[in-house]
Amino acid sequence: MNATDLVDLVQSVVDGVMFGTTYALIGIGFTLIFGVMHKINLSYAAASVGAAYLSLILVKVAPTPLVYLAAALLGGVLGALIYYVCFRFLPLDKPLATLMSTVGMLLLLEEIIVHATDGMPQNYPAMFTGAVWDVGPFMIRGDLMFVFVLGCIAMVGLRLLLTHTRLGLATRAVAQQPVAARLCGMSVDRTNASTFVIAGLLGGTAGAMTGAAIGMLSPLLTLPLTVKGLVVTVIGGLGSVPGAIVAGLLVGGLENFFQFVRGVGERDIYVMALLFAFLVFRPGGLFAAPGGRD
Amino acid sequence: MPKLALTSAIALAAALACGSAAAQERTVKIYGFGAKSGVVRIFGLNSEAAMKAAAEQVNKAGGVTLGDGTKARIVIEYYDDRCNAEEGINVMRRIAAQPDAFVAIGPTCSNVAEPVFGILQKKAGDASDSGLQFPLYTDVAAKGGLASISQWSFRNVPNESAMYKSLFEWIKATRPDIKTVWGGVEKDFAHSNATFNAMKGHAEKTGFEVKGQSEWLLADTSFATQVREMRRGEADLVMVSAHPFTTCGVLKEMQRQGVKPKMLVGLTSSSSLETLQGCAAQAEGILIPTSFAPVNPDAKRAADLVGAAGASMDLHNAAAWENVFTLKEQIERAKIMARPDTIQEDRRKMREALASMRETTGLLGKVVRTDDREADKPFLFVRAEKGAWTVAHTPK
Repeated sequence: MNATDLVDLVQSVVDGVMFGTTYALIGIGFTLIFGVMHKINLSYAAASVGAAYLSLILVKVAPTPLVYLAAALLGGVLGALIYYVCFRFLPLDKPLATLMSTVGMLLLLEEIIVHATDGMPQNYPAMFTGAVWDVGPFMIRGDLMFVFVLGCIAMVGLRLLLTHTRLGLATRAVAQQPVAARLCGMSVDRTNASTFVIAGLLGGTAGAMTGAAIGMLSPLLTLPLTVKGLVVTVIGGLGSVPGAIVAGLLVGGLENFFQFVRGVGERDIYVMALLFAFLVFRPGGLFAAPGGRD
Repeated sequence: MPKLALTSAIALAAALACGSAAAQERTVKIYGFGAKSGVVRIFGLNSEAAMKAAAEQVNKAGGVTLGDGTKARIVIEYYDDRCNAEEGINVMRRIAAQPDAFVAIGPTCSNVAEPVFGILQKKAGDASDSGLQFPLYTDVAAKGGLASISQWSFRNVPNESAMYKSLFEWIKATRPDIKTVWGGVEKDFAHSNATFNAMKGHAEKTGFEVKGQSEWLLADTSFATQVREMRRGEADLVMVSAHPFTTCGVLKEMQRQGVKPKMLVGLTSSSSLETLQGCAAQAEGILIPTSFAPVNPDAKRAADLVGAAGASMDLHNAAAWENVFTLKEQIERAKIMARPDTIQEDRRKMREALASMRETTGLLGKVVRTDDREADKPFLFVRAEKGAWTVAHTPK
């Protein structure tokens, strides 16, 4: 490997880490819902992409930041909808019930997108696409930096919400001791619904950032993002928000590393091998959530 | 007496009216199938619209003459295979089980065409082969050489190898400043991968130096590493063999990284509205060979009629349009009866008629039929200019 290869390798990994912010946001959504309800919402990434699609309604009449804001808000609305359709009235003691309902929702959302757009890729607005900073031999791209910074802001916002608000307190209480939380007068249903809305806000942001980073949206995005989100959730530790953040950036970086070193044919094999290694040797992930519920 | 005459006249008129209505009601069904859901749904929608628009034109001109001399209207029935091999096989079996099915057009995806052709009888008349005996006249699935799988399979798809051979020869002759090439390929899509090999082979044979290639997958979300490889290659020409979603993803990444080759060459399937809708600005100047463009009155009219049906005409559904007219001619030539009791015989006659064709009429001119049941279609090169496809060159 010569110096140019090394520069390209580092550049690829840096780009991957920055793009990994979107994986982190998706992973946080999975882990947040799992942390509170001990359920996996497999339709989460599809709803995130769906929210980004819905925000395209504004693309001709509103500036790009408002389109992103709309994606986040619509993600919240979809999150609430998914909670009421796939969780609220289903027997929560039967793990397969919600798993299958969210698989159904994933396929439904994907097919709605396909039918609404005839499967044609849609242009998605990006910001700072022309901004490129040369740092020595490296190149920092404005658009990816924007995705990275916005993702970080969303994660910090979530952290503040969980630790400094009554809603965050209720969310953590329901996650740790749902029976005790109910005895203290907290509405578990309302807290669960709020968690879905918060996760949806993050998901909508992730969908918009993914669209912005690629420059387009396609129904093809739903399944890979679902898989990446699950990988990130497992590697980070089910229920751990910091774990999802670190794992998202790690998976983004490793993906590009293996792409560079071994090529596209083998890239995903190594990422999946990493997942299996965690499942076997560290099933709790990087940061297993402490404690549990009753 | 006048009363009796009047009654008789009314009865006769009624009988004639009924007879006329019955003649009007005679229909011939042409089945079609392709992707009408899933991410390549647009292919199936466009094919169905083109087939229906073509059938309407045939019907307006009096319909099709059957073997017994009666006139019939053509009716199109189109099924969805989701661009999935298993679904495609199910659809093929379902169509073959219909008592009025003697020919079908489809499918849209090469990964469906390959297994579907595989369940057809390999050699016509081979009693030891229990494969389906049903003629299929494919419009879209373009992976090279598929019709050789079965003698019941026929295709009216462009010969992409010949198209890219001609394209690279033209580039060589007209752009002496272009000497090196870099390739980009969507590795997990049968059509993209197969066509890339043809592109690369012809580029090398024509005398260009292929400096390397970048690879990605159909559902990839980041192309930064691949485009960086491309940037290092510093090739004069970049050829991208991928469908619109990743073609646009790569072109946008090229713009971000400042990769500006002297020339861009794309995959035939990308000479569509999808590419312009996804990345018109980044695709500006991309050169693509295609077997359809609205360059003559017939092609313009066909494009207008398909456009009025809410679809857009491209090289794929132009073939679907052509196939309906070709089948109309062959139904008349083979004296198809289109009755439930003749359906097996109709299928055999249809296959023989399709196999004996030496030339058909296409929207861009005569289409030569080859011995391996493929088509040698006229083609031209189009270039993306200001959000539209314009003709760059028409090879003689």
